[in-house]
Amino acid sequence: MHIMEGFLPVEHAIGWFGVSAPFVVAGVMRLRRIVRERPQAKMMLAAAGAFTFLLSALKMPSVTGSCSHPTGTGLGAVVFGPAVMSVLGMIVLLFQALLLAHGGLTTLGANVFSMAIVGPWVSWGVWRLAGKLGASITVAVFFAAMLGDLATYMTTSVQLALAYPDLSSGIPGAIAKFGGIFAVTQLPLAIVEGLLTVVVMNALSGRAGKVDEIQVLCGEVRG
Amino acid sequence: MTAIDRIAHLNRWRHRPLTEKIVLALGMLLLSVVFPPFPVAVIVLVVMTVATLAGAEVPVRVWLACAGGPLGFLLIGVVFLAVQIDSDGIALAPEGMSVAGQMMTRTLAGLSCFLFLALTTPTTDLLAGLRRFGVPPEIVEIALLMYRFIFLLADAAYSMDRAQAARLGHSSKRRRLRSLGLLVANLLPRAMDQGRRLEMGLAARGWTGDMRVLSRATPLSVPTLALVVVIEVLTAAAGVHFS
Repeated sequence: MHIMEGFLPVEHAIGWFGVSAPFVVAGVMRLRRIVRERPQAKMMLAAAGAFTFLLSALKMPSVTGSCSHPTGTGLGAVVFGPAVMSVLGMIVLLFQALLLAHGGLTTLGANVFSMAIVGPWVSWGVWRLAGKLGASITVAVFFAAMLGDLATYMTTSVQLALAYPDLSSGIPGAIAKFGGIFAVTQLPLAIVEGLLTVVVMNALSGRAGKVDEIQVLCGEVRG
Repeated sequence: MTAIDRIAHLNRWRHRPLTEKIVLALGMLLLSVVFPPFPVAVIVLVVMTVATLAGAEVPVRVWLACAGGPLGFLLIGVVFLAVQIDSDGIALAPEGMSVAGQMMTRTLAGLSCFLFLALTTPTTDLLAGLRRFGVPPEIVEIALLMYRFIFLLADAAYSMDRAQAARLGHSSKRRRLRSLGLLVANLLPRAMDQGRRLEMGLAARGWTGDMRVLSRATPLSVPTLALVVVIEVLTAAAGVHFS
């Protein structure tokens, strides 16, 4: 769920840009290093970004009836790595704003934080943790994508609640309000996205032989 | 191509200098978030909508279609602000309506500025303009390449989707999910492959990692820019005077 243009008061808009900045700057530095060492990686990075954009523009079969789109952050984080995803995610969000009128410019900072930083890092963390715990790849991928998706929506709820606290019960009440509606609509969606990512990873590993080799497919990007 | 992209290339102000459009859109956007919504946001909303629909001659139908999604989001937001949670459960908030009204006005003003920019200026122009704001050239270049890849991959995804539909891949929800998963899994190696091939083609032509393209630059019109600044100063004055 993208926060639309003008929805956040000015202090919040600036604040979220500030919070996102270190992650994005770190990602940019990493990207520049990859590109300087191997100029050919530029094309792969662009292709990876375009893929992420398309992923978020595809329609998923939904449970609640409303049309819905995968966030793609889980798959992106597992395949391309979270640091690179923060920059690619920001460009994707900019394109979504300019080409599809989803999101906005003043709210870009807040959207980057929830969708290009929290989502990918949570997915990546879950993926690594599940790997260490010895979970099967299917289980690891499912939880990485699902929890990454949920974390994104929870972050958005908190961002909205901080900007518009409930008049009688304050911020916790507002989190309950926004989170309540998101839980109803987004929990099934997160599960669907988890299942979708499992199908994708299975099909990809069928192509590449082993899951480790999927990442080799994107070797240039991970750098 | 999306409707927004098409209009951005075909509207009457397509070839107006980027500076004029940026100063107008971002200036007004800034005014609408900085000042209290009445009367600044109302002025911004009117000026920017007139500029988009009458000035750049963006079709009303397209404008409304683009505003539709965000308006749905806004509606949900307004409902949230108008209710409150207390010990009795959920009730209508007494001051919620005024907060919601203010928020709605400001958001609509922001939306009008944003749609002006998105509908009058092609994304490639905006990205090229990012260099002037100190965004590293590598990042701008990746973004420009990404823009190109999006349309190539979208074509591929569209034909895969039609092929799946023709083979009953959409007949049930379960199959739809599986079809979509297969589509995505086929799209990723294809995207990477396309990137690799483009890179090889360029390397064969002696590419060293620098993209140079010609763009048609229109000279900046000082009277137009002055008019834009005057409108913004007057709007700001109205904001200072009435708040």
